[in-house]
Amino acid sequence: MEALKEKIIAGDEAGTAEIVQNLLDDRVEVEVIMKQGLITAMDEVGDRFQSGRIYLPEMLVAAQAMKSGLAVLEPLIKGSGVKPIGTAVIGTMRGDLHDIGKNLVIMSLEGAGFEVVDLGMDVPPEKFVDAITTHQPRVVGMSALLSTTMPGMEQTIQAIETAGLRDGVKIMVGGAPVNQDFADRIGADFYGKDSVAAKVFAVQSLQG
Amino acid sequence: MAIQQPFKHGADFEYLRKVLMREVSEGPVPIIELAVDGDPMSEVTGLPTPFSSLLDMMDFVESDGSINQDSLRKGIQINDLSLAFARAVGYDYVTVIPAILIPRTKANISREVPGQVKQRSWQNEHAGLIPDRAAFEAFPWPQTSGLGIVSIDYIVPQIPEGARIMVFYMGIFEDLRALMGFEQMAIKSIREPGLIGDILEKLTVIAETELDKIAAHPAVGAVFYADDMGFNTGTMLSPAFFKEWVIPRQKRIADIVHKHGKPFLLHACGQVDALMEDLIEVVGIDGYHSFEDNIEPVEEFYRRYHDRISVLGGVDVNLLTHGSREEVRARCRQILDACGPGGGFAMGSGNSITNYCKIENYYAMLDETRRWNQEQGF
Repeated sequence: MEALKEKIIAGDEAGTAEIVQNLLDDRVEVEVIMKQGLITAMDEVGDRFQSGRIYLPEMLVAAQAMKSGLAVLEPLIKGSGVKPIGTAVIGTMRGDLHDIGKNLVIMSLEGAGFEVVDLGMDVPPEKFVDAITTHQPRVVGMSALLSTTMPGMEQTIQAIETAGLRDGVKIMVGGAPVNQDFADRIGADFYGKDSVAAKVFAVQSLQG
Repeated sequence: MAIQQPFKHGADFEYLRKVLMREVSEGPVPIIELAVDGDPMSEVTGLPTPFSSLLDMMDFVESDGSINQDSLRKGIQINDLSLAFARAVGYDYVTVIPAILIPRTKANISREVPGQVKQRSWQNEHAGLIPDRAAFEAFPWPQTSGLGIVSIDYIVPQIPEGARIMVFYMGIFEDLRALMGFEQMAIKSIREPGLIGDILEKLTVIAETELDKIAAHPAVGAVFYADDMGFNTGTMLSPAFFKEWVIPRQKRIADIVHKHGKPFLLHACGQVDALMEDLIEVVGIDGYHSFEDNIEPVEEFYRRYHDRISVLGGVDVNLLTHGSREEVRARCRQILDACGPGGGFAMGSGNSITNYCKIENYYAMLDETRRWNQEQGF
């Protein structure tokens, strides 16, 4: 399992897939590979990123490696009884074509075992409402890079409230122009300064 | 809403140059911008604009590296607008963006929302024109011997007395991201750093060649070199990457500008603290621009660095977009009180006057600076 972690952290896609296959051949359970291998490795990647020991490229290649391992497991996951730890709906606000930050959060959430419904970029409030109704997530994430698209966060929270869905979800916001004051003002539950902070909040949200 | 009163009458680039080079500590705080979008320039002057935002110019060059007649016409129009804008506001310089024949990719968004985004283009973050070595080899790189300074030659006869040209030059790391797409570039920086190095080298040689001609021109006053390297909390790639691949090349580019005795001003968005010593000591930047209060208020930066480089702009674009005139005035006052008295400071936005900033807030920033200068007896 330690070798698997090292391959993921190093961003070695082929090496990761090979070790996952070897573990399966050795009859290691899918859930064990997920929790002790993939999720633990991505936790370590997140910690290193947050503490400034690695940067975005290292995170991106680690995520690629993790996905190559996940691809080996995927056909077996359904039958194994492994369930996601929770569901999250996430998107970039209407008028915003930037999604690197959002994708990093998705990577962190998936690495932590979440099922993530990615609404993509340029997402209007009603699309968030529809996705919450359909997927019933515990966590909703909104991202904005632009000053002009930040107001979309408030409009989306209002739309979620109007639809009577606010109590069932924890809402986290992030992005370059967003800060704690703004998050408080619009009634978000959390402002995340980076993807790791978002993941920590999302995991905590499952507990209450 | 057209401008009612210019910031000042008459251009004096020589005074601005002294501020940029920290040769004076007494005197009025001048104004400076890296860039102003077409829409606000149009609103100030009453003239039409061919581009809503400057980023719309990303498809100025065709995918084969050529310029069509429509782009040429728009290029002339944007130069005329830039000239009229500088006169109307009272800047000491006219901004010129030299034609750089490098194709780029962009992602468009166009929506009419009152007071918000009109039309704007953004760099495509995922897909670029150079995904691999074969595409690099086949890319229509401009012939450096054929590069000209057409825009500068066009505008020189028309610049106001006492003014000079401020050249906006797109940086090599910006261009690298534009050519590869951010995500692809980030992954290649680990999986194929040699390709990254080769693209950067190509871009550096183009920049050296072009800026050698540009900076030599007597009408050119300074070069504003725009090379974003950070995001909110740190550098986009590791500081080690920048120190190995980018900083030495930026130094070569700065050296060319300095060879002609012109200030080399850096615009670099994001938290780039980890690179600041290299930017000052190795690259040799004369001034630094790009401030967001989320990252570091300009006053704090000024306190740390104003004895080594000039500090340019600082009013957060977020405030210019969402704030009231009173809030903008109050923030300008704070900045001026902190950065004005020590010299080496020019007032302006933290990034650029975008087509989503409120024009009345832009005017409030100019007016508050004028008032402050008057109160100091200038």
